[in-house]
Amino acid sequence: MEDFYTELAEILEVDEVKREDELEEFENWDSLTILEVASMVDEKYGVTIASKEVKGLITVGDLEDLIRSKM
Amino acid sequence: MNLQYRNKKISGILAVVPQNEVRFDDEVENYNFSVKQSMKLKKIMGYDRHRIVTEGTCVSDLAICGLKYLLDEGLIYKDEIDALVLMTQTPDYFMPPTSNVIQGKLDLKQDMVCLDVKQGCAGYLVGLMQSFSLLEQDAINKVALVNGDVLSRKTSPQDRNTFPLIGDGAAVTIVEKNPGNSEIFANIKMDGSHRNALIIPAGGLKMPSNQDTAVMKMDEEGNSRCLDHWFMDGMAVFNFVVNEVPPMINNLMEFSGVGLEDVDYFMFHQPNKFMLQRLADKMDVSYDKMPYNIVENFGNSSGATIPTNIAFNLGDKLLNHSYLTCLAGFGVGLTASSMLMRIGPLDFCRMIEY
Repeated sequence: MEDFYTELAEILEVDEVKREDELEEFENWDSLTILEVASMVDEKYGVTIASKEVKGLITVGDLEDLIRSKM
Repeated sequence: MNLQYRNKKISGILAVVPQNEVRFDDEVENYNFSVKQSMKLKKIMGYDRHRIVTEGTCVSDLAICGLKYLLDEGLIYKDEIDALVLMTQTPDYFMPPTSNVIQGKLDLKQDMVCLDVKQGCAGYLVGLMQSFSLLEQDAINKVALVNGDVLSRKTSPQDRNTFPLIGDGAAVTIVEKNPGNSEIFANIKMDGSHRNALIIPAGGLKMPSNQDTAVMKMDEEGNSRCLDHWFMDGMAVFNFVVNEVPPMINNLMEFSGVGLEDVDYFMFHQPNKFMLQRLADKMDVSYDKMPYNIVENFGNSSGATIPTNIAFNLGDKLLNHSYLTCLAGFGVGLTASSMLMRIGPLDFCRMIEY
């Protein structure tokens, strides 16, 4: 999952993201972004994530852990 | 479920779009999102302009406009329409069927079948299946299949999840017996466990519309809608489509014995550019074989998107050519369906405005 942070930064339109960054702090963190993340994760890792699962997440690390747990 | 039909064909397609065009850029201020967020949405989903009916326009108006045009142009005749199948989620009334309304207003013959079927995004596929089944009867030689919806009337202008993508429209497809030896392959899947992913909660008998269902409420994301408006869980629909459609198409190819590379066009339902590009990528199909420009030009008119897609993107080419075409519709229900058939040469394939 080494690409994950680069891909996520691109979707969020920021220079970089760190594991401890809070998702809600990004201006672009909305349903569209979550859809783009779901699409990227499906494409790159063959993993399906649901909006309910994403709602409870606080940090970028939580998102990474959710995806890892499904791989 | 695999389905097979023999000796049936589409002989003409007419798409009807309302004249009234609305631009996404003019609607940005209705949404509780930053301009930057809305412009990103526009770019990714391919939103630009869409066709919306003016107040009071019903699906019967669009259908009558299309059928009347065909009658006036001499492209069909009243006494040869043996069945009228109307696929809609936005009927004029609970009762009578809107197909009877259309029949009565156009003064079509009484010796015929009128049928309303409630289907949305997969409505073109289900409508063709219904038409093919009717054509098994000796007495039925020609079916007018009408797909139409005026969902803008059930959409909140302050819901960024639904309003930018919606388009009103209708299409008339003439389906008839084909003396040639043609085979049509199809499959369909129903998933009622996800019925709430696309729903208009109020207005039926489960929750009749009243003052309370008309109260606008803002969700945690900033979209406002009431229970009389349609709601979409975009992620659930996206996951359903990207997980179900590619294997469904593979099964269709296996069932028909045709290779994916032999298909000329993939004329799919048009939810948005994002989802269609993702499907094309996942299926390894080039974008020029799978048009995705209907939402940006007209909006998503539910069951009418596939014939609109064919009329807009193939149009005159289908008057002299035939193409091996893969159709697919997916959405409300949830429902997913696909079909492989040769389309063309057609007697007509065009668009008109209401």
